[in-house]
Amino acid sequence: MLNYALRRILQMIPLLLVISLVIFTLTALQPGDPVDQLVLGNSQITPDDIARLRAAYGLDQPIPVRYWFWLTHAIQGDFGWSRTFSAPAASYVFQERLPNTLLLTLPALILSTLIAVPLGIFSAVRQYSFLDYVLTFFSFVSFSAPIFWIGAMALWLFAIYLPQITNGVISLPPGGLGSPDLAPDAGFWSVLTDKLRYLILPLSILMLREIAVILRFLRASMLEVLNQDFVRTARAKGLSSRKVLYRHALRNAVLPIVTLLGLSIPGLFGGAVLTETVFSWPGMGRVIVEALTSKDFNVVMVALTFISVLTVVFQLLTDLAYAAIDPRIRYS
Amino acid sequence: MKKWLTLSVLLLGAGVVSSALAGQANNSLVIGTSQEPPNINDPWRTNNLVIATEITWYMEAHLIGKDDNGELYPEIATRVPSLANGDYKIVKDAKGNVIRNSVTFSIRKDAKWSDGTAITPKDFQFWLKVEQDDRVPVPTREPWDKAKITLQDADTFTITFDPPYLFADQLTSAVGLNPAPSAAMEKAWSAFDAATKNLDPKTGAKQITDEWNKFIAQFTTSRGLPKVVSGPFKPTAWRAGNSLVLTRNPNYWLTPKGGADKYIQSVQYRFIADTNTLKVNILSGQLDALSYVGLSFDQAIEAQRSERGKYKTYFVPGATWEHVDIANVGARAQSLGLNDKRVRQALMYSIDRAALVKALFEGKQPVSNTWVSPISKLYQKNAKDYNFDAAKAKALFAAAGWKPGPDGILAKDGKKMSLNFSTTAGNKLRERVQQILQAQWKAVGVDVNIQNFPSTVVFSGDFAPRSAEGKWDLFMYAWSNDPSVERGDLWASQFIPSKDNAYAGQNYPNFKDADYDKIWNDAKTEFDLSARVKLFDKMQSIWTDEVPSLPLYFRANPYTKVPGLVNYTYTAYSLYPSWNAAQMGWASRGAVETFTQK
Repeated sequence: MLNYALRRILQMIPLLLVISLVIFTLTALQPGDPVDQLVLGNSQITPDDIARLRAAYGLDQPIPVRYWFWLTHAIQGDFGWSRTFSAPAASYVFQERLPNTLLLTLPALILSTLIAVPLGIFSAVRQYSFLDYVLTFFSFVSFSAPIFWIGAMALWLFAIYLPQITNGVISLPPGGLGSPDLAPDAGFWSVLTDKLRYLILPLSILMLREIAVILRFLRASMLEVLNQDFVRTARAKGLSSRKVLYRHALRNAVLPIVTLLGLSIPGLFGGAVLTETVFSWPGMGRVIVEALTSKDFNVVMVALTFISVLTVVFQLLTDLAYAAIDPRIRYS
Repeated sequence: MKKWLTLSVLLLGAGVVSSALAGQANNSLVIGTSQEPPNINDPWRTNNLVIATEITWYMEAHLIGKDDNGELYPEIATRVPSLANGDYKIVKDAKGNVIRNSVTFSIRKDAKWSDGTAITPKDFQFWLKVEQDDRVPVPTREPWDKAKITLQDADTFTITFDPPYLFADQLTSAVGLNPAPSAAMEKAWSAFDAATKNLDPKTGAKQITDEWNKFIAQFTTSRGLPKVVSGPFKPTAWRAGNSLVLTRNPNYWLTPKGGADKYIQSVQYRFIADTNTLKVNILSGQLDALSYVGLSFDQAIEAQRSERGKYKTYFVPGATWEHVDIANVGARAQSLGLNDKRVRQALMYSIDRAALVKALFEGKQPVSNTWVSPISKLYQKNAKDYNFDAAKAKALFAAAGWKPGPDGILAKDGKKMSLNFSTTAGNKLRERVQQILQAQWKAVGVDVNIQNFPSTVVFSGDFAPRSAEGKWDLFMYAWSNDPSVERGDLWASQFIPSKDNAYAGQNYPNFKDADYDKIWNDAKTEFDLSARVKLFDKMQSIWTDEVPSLPLYFRANPYTKVPGLVNYTYTAYSLYPSWNAAQMGWASRGAVETFTQK
């Protein structure tokens, strides 16, 4: 097992190098560069100015040279400067944006799992019951409705309509990370309350999608397992239905969910972009879009490389978790 | 369960409490914007974003400012320089050509930085020294590359431009010359200087820029807020991606009527990237006003319908000019007849712009006939107006040899008039304008294929400047210019982008006219306004006859503000509402209205 893990970790190095090269090349091949933004709207800019600025931003070099420059510096922990955010690219992404994403996505993932797993089991065990239909309907709607639409509706409901009809008793802020007018010396509870108010809507919308996905997967997986011979045998042996369900069926049915969660975590860091955009939540998803739009190569590289690292790491963890959960899998 | 219910009610109710505290109750102002600047209060403007300038003006005072009427007023200076008062001087050679000009400013005795130290000529000298330094990545140094500051006394200095600068008497912040706090910055500047002095500006450009970034980031960013400022507000908190808070600077010297305590004491900018969410913030009463960078026009129209007395929507006539450039040269343009002015004129006559602005903009965005803003003194009032005339259009096409084929599409020598029309994808308004124009052109036999790309693509060096290579036949976008410093550069052949000049310049249609060039050259050094008006009259006559570009309309910039907020105004002259930051206030708190939104 240890050998397997070490081998996989060593394999990650060339893989990540290839990924970073591909990301760098594709980003650099986009039409336009950061100097275009400065040239635009400035009729006085001269060819000398353009050449000077391109050299200043290192854009006058061929892509392989630029990549080599980036790589040799990145290995030393220097991921360059972000022109869009006026800060070192890595510290901006990890200190300013990553905590916001963690604050939004980790509770979303944990709460969604805690809610969706029992619902998925219930839905499978009580197949075709009224509640199963309700849950199936809920998951299809949550899964198919566009997030920006659900988000916009939630904003309208909680920030405009309900405050109007309840005279402000029910009211949630229409996006943002927190109250700008919160006093700097506000106590812990004031800060927490303020943060929670702003978190409720984006968290709920993000959870809707996650619950729907986990619920559907677990329901399907449970149904498949519940119809297998070993479950029938376990039941025939007279084991209690609770034991059959949780010790035999769920342990087998949960494998696809482990894969799903393993791959969801890196996806959530960049994939929450719509939720972050609708609710003005300054997280990783938005930073990638903003950096791509403004050709901020250093930020794009930091954010996408980080997500790539997360993806390969969580793939490894998922594989290792398989071995822990399923006794049939042994990497030795 | 009861605990959860109580917590929920508390959380939900807290929204109401904080809303009630905002705005008039605590004499603050909450402004929403869809863009966040990378940095603020950078005296050298190393980024050219509108939002950065708008926010900077809350915390940056200027020698002279420009109000909503285009009138100059002194801020740091004791008076506005003019020929009459002798502060503005022109030096002519024997032939009568202006060879040099200069302006002299005296700094007010009470002009102070926010830390209480005096603003001195040294702060302007420091600004100029850095601006002229080859290592600093300013987009362009014009007109500062050859300017010189000489001290007259402890409070007075003269800036000399040699060669002369046409708008030297209008040195507002829009053309640079911002005070830089030399005392606060000099130590860090010396560190930058030491770290980069042995580097070659060409081969070591990237390292120099990295060092520059480290220097400027200490004074202009969310992690390095400006240490001292000169304007009426100073930054106190910037939460990246969320908000920026500015509080009133007690050391600012221009006191509004009745005393500064009757006016806004703090300003909060909320950065809300999604404009639909921004609109929800307005509707829910979270914002007192919108920034210049806020809603799109159609969103503002929707917001206007939902006002219910809670806020008012304004459409400020601006100097942003929407137009369609026509590719004038190149093999493709030639094969389509676009190099023939009769075809370009016919394209102009084929479109009904009056109906377009009425249908889409409720008439709030006026049709334009030239590129010069109608509020500029240089605008040609009787400019040739290509009113919609399909018969005239067809006659002009026929005269140029383009006749309708069996399918109704114009054709010449077996070639169909099928034009590629591009604009910024995702800009719904432009896309609607495009569809209307496409239908109007189709009615006279011109086939138009819409080929839109994201703005990052169309404004890249690979697209917009490449009309001669056939990248587009028609290209719709906007151009913005301060109407007081209009120069006509857009259409000078010197600014035709090409491979040889690294695609510099915005003469995208590749318009080249010897007469225009000559008059433009004369106008560049014509210091007499009435004579310059005559030259611009000729330039606009040539331009409207040649039609290198199809003028559509001047954009009106929408914003909203709640009732009772006074002096939050702007026009195409003053550019952003922040020009008048010191006087913004709530009528209910005793603020006196001195400017109303036009």
